[in-house]
Amino acid sequence: MYIIIAGGGKVGTQLARDLIIDGHEVTVLEANPAKARSLEDELGAVVLGHDASEGRWLREAGIARADLVIAVTGHDEDNIIICQMAEPLSEGKARTIARINNPKNSDTFRLLGIEALVDATDLVMSMIERDVSTDSVVHLMRLQSAGLELIEVTVGHRSSADGTTPDDLGLPERGARICVVLRDHKPLIPLATARLQAGDSVILVAQTEDEVELRKQFLGP
Amino acid sequence: MYAIVVGCGRAGADVANRLSAGNHAVVVIDNDRTAFSRLALDFDGTTLVGHAIDIDCLLSAGIERADLLIATTYGDNSNLTAVQIANKQFGVDRAIARVKDPIRARLFGDLGVETLSSTTLVGQAFEHLLDQTHTSSNPVPQTED
Repeated sequence: MYIIIAGGGKVGTQLARDLIIDGHEVTVLEANPAKARSLEDELGAVVLGHDASEGRWLREAGIARADLVIAVTGHDEDNIIICQMAEPLSEGKARTIARINNPKNSDTFRLLGIEALVDATDLVMSMIERDVSTDSVVHLMRLQSAGLELIEVTVGHRSSADGTTPDDLGLPERGARICVVLRDHKPLIPLATARLQAGDSVILVAQTEDEVELRKQFLGP
Repeated sequence: MYAIVVGCGRAGADVANRLSAGNHAVVVIDNDRTAFSRLALDFDGTTLVGHAIDIDCLLSAGIERADLLIATTYGDNSNLTAVQIANKQFGVDRAIARVKDPIRARLFGDLGVETLSSTTLVGQAFEHLLDQTHTSSNPVPQTED
């Protein structure tokens, strides 16, 4: 793939290193000339020392043939505009991924049509939630555009799930699916006929709005 | 009319002064308090320290009842983002972004965002001046953006 990285900070630089090792063709746009020079010393001739949100430099970087644009500058407004410009400049061919610096702005990214987002704060929060959660429902991943979540829930004593097979459980109609059930950190096989028991860890994909219903089924009274 | 001017640099202060002099209600936003010293002594509006794309700041400025938002900060991207927030989230009647990069101005113009490219305007003004002072035997070369 041909990938344009906007922003040569720590994130952009590490991404460039990894993507080059994986065999991708990469161009990094970094507006700060000193930073761009030191990047070039390390990565070679894949650095353009210019502002990625300026139309002419995106063109110079070959946006017309780019498969992917990753906007990881330290400014949210720049990441928004770079992604929005990538669409027409690549005639809709380049996919975009943006980094959110300030979690407060995440609604603005979505409002302006940027769906593939990496929010470091969000990631750290979900890790903390997973590790130190006192709640029995943990959000592992959000598939924003589809309105789906990957969640992990621990079956509670005397919940309706306790002692029931997944088939008999009657999950919400809109398409909640159990992906895997872990008992003592090992997957239960076969899944369809296994009886769930309290303490099992169930990982499922569900519509965001079905969470309340699922809580009742799995956590019980 | 209730107008919000984002950015109190030379251009922002100028347009805010004009709107205020025209008896419009004006709120000026800038992240640097000292920028407000550019406002005229008889400026009759209010000032607010904050960032152009911060929703809370825009709400404090009264964006929900604004008829007009003009974004004039030094950052094209802040201006374009603020104007799109005004259009899409708050349905502000008219929102205009100052954009220095002519390519960006045209791209976002195509997307339905109202922009004013100061670079192109100055270029056109110079061209116009030269057209007036030169004879036709000495034409000014046409330039693209």
